[in-house]
Amino acid sequence: MKTYWRSIEELANPKELRREEVREEAKQKSMLMRGDNELNAASRRDFLKTFGFGIAAASIVASCKRPVDKAIPYLVKPDEINPGTANYYASSYFEGNEYGSIIVKVRDGRPIKIEGNTLSSISQGGTSARMQASVLNLYDDARFKGPSKSGQEITWDAADAEIVAQLTTLKSQGGKVVILSSTIISPSTRDVIQKFIEKQTNTEWIQYDPVSASGILEANQKSFGSAFIPDYRFNKAKVVVSFGADFLGSWLSTVEYTKGYTSARQLQNDRKEMLRHYQFESGMTLSGSNADVRFPIKPSEEGAIVLALYIAVAKSKGGQVLSGVQSTVDISDLAKDLLENEKQSIVISGSNDVNIQLLVNGINQLLGNYGQTIGLENSLRTKQGIDQDTDRLLSDLKAGNVKALLVWNANPVYDHPKGKDFAEVIKKTSLSVSFSERPDETTALCQYVLPESNLLESWNDLEPKAGIYSLSQPVIAPIFNSRQVQVTLLKWIGADNNYRDYIKTFWKETQFPKQKNTTDFRQFWNTSLQNGVFETVLESKLVYSPEGLSQAANQVKPVVAGLEVALYESVAIGNGKFANNPWLQELPDPVAKISWDNFAAVPVAYAAENALKNEDVILVNGIELPVFVQPGQAKDTISVALGYGREIAGKVGDQTGTNLYPFVGIDSGTRHYFLTSAKVEKVAGKLFQLAISQTHYSMEGRPIVRETTLDEYIKNPVSGNEIKAEHEEKSVSLYEAPVYNGHHWGMAVDLNSCTGCGNCAVACQAENNIQVIGKEQVRNRRIMHWIRIDRYYSENPENPKVSFQPVMCQHCGNAPCENVCPVAATPHSEEGLNQMAYNRCVGTKYCVNNCPYKVRRFNWFQYVKNDKFDFASNSDLGRMVLNPDVTVRSRGVVEKCSMCVQRIQEKKQLAKLEGRAIAEGEIKTACSQSCPGNAIVFGDLENPESRISKLFKDKRNYHLLEELHTLPSVGYLTKVRNTKA
Amino acid sequence: MRNSTFLRHLMRLKTFAFLLFLSFFIVTSIPITASSAEDDTDVIAEDHSHIDIKRGERFFKGLLPKDRKFESCVSCHNLTHTDTLNWNPSAMAIAVKFAGKDFSEFQSAVMQPVGKKMEASHKDFAIEESDLKKVKLYLDELAVTGPPSAGPTINQIIIFLFLGLLMTLALLDLIFFHKIKYRYVTVIILIVAVIVQVKMVADAAISLGRSQNYAPDQPIKFSHKVHAGDNKIDCKYCHHTAEFSKSAGIPAMELCMNCHVLVREGANSGKFEIAKVVEANETKTPVEWIRLHNLPDHVFFSHAQHVGIAKVDCQKCHGDVAQMNIMKQTSDLSMGWCINCHRDTKVNFKDNAYYDNYMKLHDQLKGGGIDTIRAVNIGANDCMRCHY
Repeated sequence: MKTYWRSIEELANPKELRREEVREEAKQKSMLMRGDNELNAASRRDFLKTFGFGIAAASIVASCKRPVDKAIPYLVKPDEINPGTANYYASSYFEGNEYGSIIVKVRDGRPIKIEGNTLSSISQGGTSARMQASVLNLYDDARFKGPSKSGQEITWDAADAEIVAQLTTLKSQGGKVVILSSTIISPSTRDVIQKFIEKQTNTEWIQYDPVSASGILEANQKSFGSAFIPDYRFNKAKVVVSFGADFLGSWLSTVEYTKGYTSARQLQNDRKEMLRHYQFESGMTLSGSNADVRFPIKPSEEGAIVLALYIAVAKSKGGQVLSGVQSTVDISDLAKDLLENEKQSIVISGSNDVNIQLLVNGINQLLGNYGQTIGLENSLRTKQGIDQDTDRLLSDLKAGNVKALLVWNANPVYDHPKGKDFAEVIKKTSLSVSFSERPDETTALCQYVLPESNLLESWNDLEPKAGIYSLSQPVIAPIFNSRQVQVTLLKWIGADNNYRDYIKTFWKETQFPKQKNTTDFRQFWNTSLQNGVFETVLESKLVYSPEGLSQAANQVKPVVAGLEVALYESVAIGNGKFANNPWLQELPDPVAKISWDNFAAVPVAYAAENALKNEDVILVNGIELPVFVQPGQAKDTISVALGYGREIAGKVGDQTGTNLYPFVGIDSGTRHYFLTSAKVEKVAGKLFQLAISQTHYSMEGRPIVRETTLDEYIKNPVSGNEIKAEHEEKSVSLYEAPVYNGHHWGMAVDLNSCTGCGNCAVACQAENNIQVIGKEQVRNRRIMHWIRIDRYYSENPENPKVSFQPVMCQHCGNAPCENVCPVAATPHSEEGLNQMAYNRCVGTKYCVNNCPYKVRRFNWFQYVKNDKFDFASNSDLGRMVLNPDVTVRSRGVVEKCSMCVQRIQEKKQLAKLEGRAIAEGEIKTACSQSCPGNAIVFGDLENPESRISKLFKDKRNYHLLEELHTLPSVGYLTKVRNTKA
Repeated sequence: MRNSTFLRHLMRLKTFAFLLFLSFFIVTSIPITASSAEDDTDVIAEDHSHIDIKRGERFFKGLLPKDRKFESCVSCHNLTHTDTLNWNPSAMAIAVKFAGKDFSEFQSAVMQPVGKKMEASHKDFAIEESDLKKVKLYLDELAVTGPPSAGPTINQIIIFLFLGLLMTLALLDLIFFHKIKYRYVTVIILIVAVIVQVKMVADAAISLGRSQNYAPDQPIKFSHKVHAGDNKIDCKYCHHTAEFSKSAGIPAMELCMNCHVLVREGANSGKFEIAKVVEANETKTPVEWIRLHNLPDHVFFSHAQHVGIAKVDCQKCHGDVAQMNIMKQTSDLSMGWCINCHRDTKVNFKDNAYYDNYMKLHDQLKGGGIDTIRAVNIGANDCMRCHY
């Protein structure tokens, strides 16, 4: 059997690591007992004292009066709102250049959960971890409570009057006004800005993206005469080659790409073909860890390899003959594979180097991918910022040419490589206004802060892709004294400032004529609003021209010697805008499994040579970073995530990690997310503690992940899963198998579709009121996530194969946890669920110890309303996000995945009310509902026709530790790799 | 002789303990008379003093004037909580209503009653204006200070402590004094006291967090008897979400106005109570009802399941609401109570297509293995039904 390992230490000496883990656990426990732990200074004696006092107090309390509760009805009850039932509204998410069509669950007036909208052709019902967590941004204490001027409160009217007066003066003097925003994809907002510019002449609008796609935009300007990002259709591809583009984790439209990618790789229903994925990259990204063939390279190697690939493809396709620097990697097999899959491949690059992008365009053109796997009509619009514009703005500001700067959803002081320069000049600008919803480094320097409303409080329309529109509607009245920026701008130019009406009129004029379904605008508007999306079919007249190609080939730079630092957006934190979101901070990085910090991922060999181990500190070009030894990290590279090290973000995000944006290089007009010739030295004797969870919950080397290759699978569908038959044959049990009368809820996880993105963990957290416990407690192996994604390495540590495996409570038919509970707090239900009655649990943790899957979580502390855990649940506002249908657990009880029993009960009740059977797929758990890979399927195993029953009969299906005869209700489907034999 | 001194000491201790107990008993059973430190003649404002307020209070309570021929105010407008419904507005409610208004309004309300009921009871009033002014002063004061607290009663703790003392004395007698001739008397006292104490603790522990028979005063004297009983309004007319939501719902104020836009005077309560509903609607301030039925946060209960699906009568849990003037919590809402009902309640298994997938049970029904399906048979007593 293949050996799987979770960390370099385990690979070296698995037994020693386990011993170390046991020692660590014992240390934690004894610390708690002795009272050494700062958080809990109680000893056993104290406990007995408190217990005795508690009994006495209880008898006295018994004669006290109960507290008086009020029941306050509506004055006028809105028709659609019924207490105790949830409403769902379609809306749209667009933050940090990420788009998703969403459904917002609103319970008694509070948005509490975000789901994907299945009607959208882009997100197709999927979400990302950031979208799931965005509901918490609404209830962030750090948000501005109202407008202010130089830190002093001011009324909207006063602020408007003062600013309008200044703008009028500027206009008469010809002073330049600049609106600096992140990419705006709202057609009507663009219209508002246009109107503002018409009125306030001499205004320039600059779009700025912290991690830009400037390279692609400029290359396409040359190749097609239009600056756009094409529409990548991964679902149609058979071969995908990615040069440093983490399209599953952070590149452009990850949910859409994951949907397409996994649908092209899934093997359910006897499908026998799957997409093959080649990845060239430096750090181990989410995409790289899913790739069939992965080439670890230095960032500066990329150009030469792309050029070599172009030359190889051009040779057989008869394209323009080019020459340039020599490639360091042999790409002949790759070129052959691509040529065998003409019109069915995608070649992408995450580079911002226009030359590389031009070559990539050339390859795609030669392979005939345009119009097939790469669409030109519905181009992606989520990143429109051109890097040069921002550089020009900076020099204009320095020269004093810009008299007024309006900053909207942009934070260049933090996330621009020349942030310090921005900070200097913003302070000197005569009028600076920030529209930011929450404090950030740039807003702190602006005179006026006119906070905009959260996206869940706002009207908006979006055009994420050309011709594909969606609407945002407010699902709660603004919690604070905030105002949409569109309203502000309209007010300043003296226009009618009802933005909803504005969008409506705008849609009547522009979108309504694009459809033929109805002639009644009201009907069109209501349908669009209810669906959340309105999609049109476009045709593209763009024609490829090989302009600039030969020049690009000549300009491709040779490999640079020395260490290189690759900068990337982490899956959870992204570009750092929502660094104050505790759910995202605690979500472990999918590959490194580290939460609460960024870190320098160093190659295994480099670590060995320089005697570096995890948590050592190195100095990289003057910035101290904790070391993490990352298997698969390319030779001579170090990867570090951007988005950390915020200074003004809020109680959670402040000073978490280190800001690496200053390392971003500017070269021939575009920003490059790597640094060459880095100087690295070890800081002797210094350690930095990281919240590494990669070695938590050991499965002791048993066959947990089962995998095979496509060729083997086609020959024999049972391949990789042969041991199952043996287990079934040898299965003997003293216990009777449980009998189910009505339902038996089960779950199937297709390991071939799981990319490990972490969306399910956050979705579960939002649905089930799972508490954030902070860095120290994560280090203590107490992370509360009910669904964890185990990541295993195998084979060569320099470039390992990676397997992801989501593990939640397996709801065993013969559950080992149930038998050992002394108070029957976790019995088996008639429907096959392993139940957890919190009010019955006394916290012996016998079940935790006896669970072979390690899925039970213990509340070591009171995580709600506790100043020691000052995250979302320590304020009234933060607790507004809690799901009222799920108990908030207190200290001393065990919790675990309930298979979203509240959702099961809700849908069962609905079916009973309507007197019908439960429809297939009607009940969805939080993790399965928004999975962008459709990897998790939930259903009724008692229904032989259900999808889950069929998946359980699939030859690839297996259960974790079948040999224990626990009869899990969760099944896994073998992972199949498409490696060439 | 060390022993006898010790006994003398003990005797003294015993007397002391007895006196201590007695004084405690007396102090707690006498209503505490509020002794104001201020001089009664202190002038509060330009035109009245504490003595005026006191006079007003006496007048309200019927102690003044001596030759009074009409009922005292307090006989109808109670000052403290009453167990049976007093339809008339309480002193507190009147005080709050007229707190911000001037005397003439108050005077005309008392002396020129509107509505049949008030006319009947106020008709013989012959009140001097000066007296009425003092009553108003008293009520204004009442609006600020709140209703007087009912004097402490001998509650459970005192009985508990008394029993404890009794046991101590009995023990002391048994071991040292031997004053009581027959030893079995002390032993019986001891045993009975222990049993009673244990039962008290057990009862208190069981009822911890439960509130059976809870019947607080509501801000409006709303009678379910008048609405659901006498006028036969269906429960679900007002609590209309009961059939499809987990919450039965408290009717919105506008729903009350469906009837009360016309019905402005009640046979029992006159105009005062209904006026509160109208006012709440006009001033856009919802009435803050006191919540009775309140399950702990770790319990999920759905009205839809019980009312909408199982068609359980409201009365089964809420008691004979149609006979309740003051709404009270009839059931103890304990887990045992839920579970017992689930054991007994039959499920309408055949008519609801949802249950079609319970094939095995249907087969058993057909085969005659079982005759009825009760809630418990389909997992109604599983933890996951209520706790998640």
